[in-house]
Amino acid sequence: MQPTAATVPSLSCVNDDRRADALLADRIRTGDTEALGELYDRYAGTATATALRVVGSRDEAEDVVHDAFVAVWRKIDRFDAERGSLRAWLTTVVRNRGIDRVRARRASIDVADADERSLLRTGPNPTWEAALTRASADDLRSAMAALPDEQRRALELAYFEGYTYREVAELTGVPAGTANGRLRLALGKLRDALTGTTAAPLPVGEATMSEDLSR
Amino acid sequence: MNVRFELDCATVDEIAAAYGLGAVDARESAAVEHHLDACSQPHAEARELIAAASLVPELLPPVAPSPGLRGRLMATVAETPQEHRLAEPRRPGPIAPMESSRRPWWQFAPLPSAIAAVALAAAVGLGALGLSLNARLAEREAALRAVASADAAYVVEGEAGRGWVIQSGDQALFMADGLAELAAGQLYEFWLIDAEGDAVAAGTLTDTDGVALVTLERDLEGATTFAVTVETERVDQSVNDPVMVAALDA
Repeated sequence: MQPTAATVPSLSCVNDDRRADALLADRIRTGDTEALGELYDRYAGTATATALRVVGSRDEAEDVVHDAFVAVWRKIDRFDAERGSLRAWLTTVVRNRGIDRVRARRASIDVADADERSLLRTGPNPTWEAALTRASADDLRSAMAALPDEQRRALELAYFEGYTYREVAELTGVPAGTANGRLRLALGKLRDALTGTTAAPLPVGEATMSEDLSR
Repeated sequence: MNVRFELDCATVDEIAAAYGLGAVDARESAAVEHHLDACSQPHAEARELIAAASLVPELLPPVAPSPGLRGRLMATVAETPQEHRLAEPRRPGPIAPMESSRRPWWQFAPLPSAIAAVALAAAVGLGALGLSLNARLAEREAALRAVASADAAYVVEGEAGRGWVIQSGDQALFMADGLAELAAGQLYEFWLIDAEGDAVAAGTLTDTDGVALVTLERDLEGATTFAVTVETERVDQSVNDPVMVAALDA
């Protein structure tokens, strides 16, 4: 699933973006509060949208955004620009903290150290940063809109509502393997939209997913 | 968690998307991370899907936060120590007690100017407290339990470091992370001072390793100031300048 030559993102602008974030991270690490302010100016819009989508109320969303930026400030030393993107870490922290609040309301799952998990999950992937810089938000949103309803719903339940794929399966009345397969298909299409690859079937589809992946 | 839950390559590939979306349980999540860290296979597809998941927020049209949020954030950040700085020693050596003065410091000395900032800091104290504890687990749990039931918290600051006084039910606690080290034979002594300037001893602390958590010997009723001095033994009246203070009526 490689991007074709014509769609390989221009690495120069990407590198600029990554470099800018890496520089911001370095400044934040030295205790420069203005650098955190600049990070806020860059990403507060996306962070607020994410928090609002997760927690549903404006006041709570802003508390989540506030706390996520404070967490980035506090834990910046754990961030490694070689291994992940500051933007992805921040938005994942926002998402996880929002989910923690929603879960507290639902009084269910125990949450350990969400910020560190976020750091791991954003992972190393310069190609993806490259793709994102190149793809317009519109491309992504139309890819999202083009998803079959059941895939979009599974993705929303998982990412924005914090359900595990097994819970998604229960909520939507399908086997766990099917719910997991829908998440794979949905993400695969978003990935393809980012790289400009035409959608190709993923090696493992819904029909072939094992029913239960736990052991 | 002593027994590691392991996943094989095929299962990791199968649940990578769910993992990236935060849609696996904690045990699976740890197992995926461990596997991807340790595995000799590239797992390129899995890594791509995981990275794609982190971009899902970009699907949403940005929403402008209210204008006041930036200022609120900057105010909190100005009062919040960074984790990697907490680990640094506050000062190179132990604090030398001052021997020169014979009168208790609070009877003539104006309170340090830091006290003015304390009222503001107290507003964010609880948040900072919950966030700044990264020491030993048992201590952290005890501290968090105290915080969870706190009725009030005050930031205590000074040359010895930063801590909190917490009123929790009828108990008062002092808590700090990374206080300046004491020389052999020294101790920190805690004082509660009322509006008249009368100070009463409220406990001592000798072990500054990790998170310090001390139940004070009296509650905060009637006290307007909390102070910490360095002494060579527990005393009923101190002649030493405080190394940390907090205004309690903020």
